[in-house]
Amino acid sequence: MQRISLEERDDWKEQAEKMGFHFHTIDDAPYWDETACYRFSLEQIENDIEDPSEAIEGLCFEVVDRAINSEEVMSKLAIPEGFWDYIRSSWLNKEKNLYGRLDFSYDGNGPAKLLEYNADTPTSLFESGAFQWLWLEQAMERDIIPKGCDQFNSVHERLVEAFQNMDIDGRLHLASCQGSPEDEGTVRYIQDCAIQAGVDTNFLHIEDIGIDDNGHFTDQDDMGIRTLFKLYPWEWIMTDEFGKSVPKSGVSFMEPAWKAILSNKGLLPLLWEMFEGHPNLLPAFFADDPRISNLEGGYVKKPLFSREGANIEIIRPGEAPISVDGPYGSEGFVVQALHTLPVFEGNHTVIGSWLVASQPCGMGIREDNSPITKDSSRFVPHVIY
Amino acid sequence: MKRSKTLKLALMGASALALTACEEPQDVAIFENVDQCTQQDGFDRSSCEENMKLAEAEHIRVSPKYTSVEDCEVDFGATQCEIAPMQTSGGGSVFMPLMMGYMMGNMLGGNSRVATQPLYRSADDSKNFRTGDNQKVAGKTGISKVPGNVAKAPTTKTNTVRRGGFGASAPRTTSRSRSFGG
Repeated sequence: MQRISLEERDDWKEQAEKMGFHFHTIDDAPYWDETACYRFSLEQIENDIEDPSEAIEGLCFEVVDRAINSEEVMSKLAIPEGFWDYIRSSWLNKEKNLYGRLDFSYDGNGPAKLLEYNADTPTSLFESGAFQWLWLEQAMERDIIPKGCDQFNSVHERLVEAFQNMDIDGRLHLASCQGSPEDEGTVRYIQDCAIQAGVDTNFLHIEDIGIDDNGHFTDQDDMGIRTLFKLYPWEWIMTDEFGKSVPKSGVSFMEPAWKAILSNKGLLPLLWEMFEGHPNLLPAFFADDPRISNLEGGYVKKPLFSREGANIEIIRPGEAPISVDGPYGSEGFVVQALHTLPVFEGNHTVIGSWLVASQPCGMGIREDNSPITKDSSRFVPHVIY
Repeated sequence: MKRSKTLKLALMGASALALTACEEPQDVAIFENVDQCTQQDGFDRSSCEENMKLAEAEHIRVSPKYTSVEDCEVDFGATQCEIAPMQTSGGGSVFMPLMMGYMMGNMLGGNSRVATQPLYRSADDSKNFRTGDNQKVAGKTGISKVPGNVAKAPTTKTNTVRRGGFGASAPRTTSRSRSFGG
């Protein structure tokens, strides 16, 4: 694994705009950054990222199996009791999941360490699956990188395939929140993949969803919703006014409700409790666990519900804490042993490993100047050669 | 290849985008029968036979299928079709072209990226071998260079028949057999 400085394609911004990738630059700072790429060997990808991702997904399923049968675990995850049965049946009915992203700390050597699992509402999918792919093809064509390079990235094909296998009954509705171009870009891309699979689709904003007399959700044209892809976290759905209508709404949700167990940071201590010592896991505990005092190398405090690095705090003995502000944390915290991100030429690098229909199929790399990656962290492409 | 082969987008951007990953050309070996294969330098009889068997099994899976022998002969020529070992959901016969040869990797090049498969000759371009999904391979036997995607296993919808599909999936089957040999 190396970071290689590169020439940019002179027309990449134009191409990004044309494809609707308007958030390529955030507040005048680059978000998509092709002045560099990360180079991996095929062995690094297959042995250190792909295989562990598949294995961890398997472990996660065991956690779900345990959680749905344990009131104690569901309480620790701060999941409202009114949703326990609903989540349980979503798992027992084998409701299909579309995608997720495992975030790893990995520097090219030794086992990649799981930092967290964005199992419910991951973004940066378009950048990974489409724009990064396009970059690779064009960079080879324009001799920016050697011909014959490859990329760990069949995300696009796997998404189309997943939609083909979903047997969606009628129209697929897709929704994201108003006012987030990044979320909307992700959902529009997912919609596009569904269309490629021959699925009839309709995009709307979460806020525009209605409900009828019978407790069924409706779209902007008063049509009933049967299948809903929502880029909107389960923990928010469960606390919204309409939340209580979800279990009887008859809607199939994507991601399914059981993903609420995996997107919760409480997953990390549960994984450690059940598979302590697994090479890809870091020691992690719920906030009231006395074993936290044994984490002598420092630790990271993460709210149960947190996104994009918000409210994350790094605590190292003898040093001032490093933290990112944010709105999360009232539901409780977990603590994870500190495993700092590798630094390449001053950039802290995190690896996002994509799962589509639970199969590992691609990778996206984010860089930040600080040791905590955030929603503004730069997306940097990768190559295999 | 660890990346998508194609990327198609309909909604995103002003114009639809359709791109195909470029792939390295592959060395392949083409033979009409096992004897021809054994005469090629570096090819031993057991590999020749093994690959022929593989291709014959693939033939049943990937060959174009027809519900009438006439339709098949339009595409492949008189007496160039046979009855396939499967039936339509209504119990009718299914026809497929005769296998005219097979393609395998170049054993000298140690090339394992080539999917061993049957080859066909269409009526309107009978000098060339074509794959089960109608990609032109070469006009001669022996070693040839082909685009990477041609060396891959055909992307034929094998479950069309299993789903009992000629009736239900008529548009797909018809357009495919029309384009075959085109």
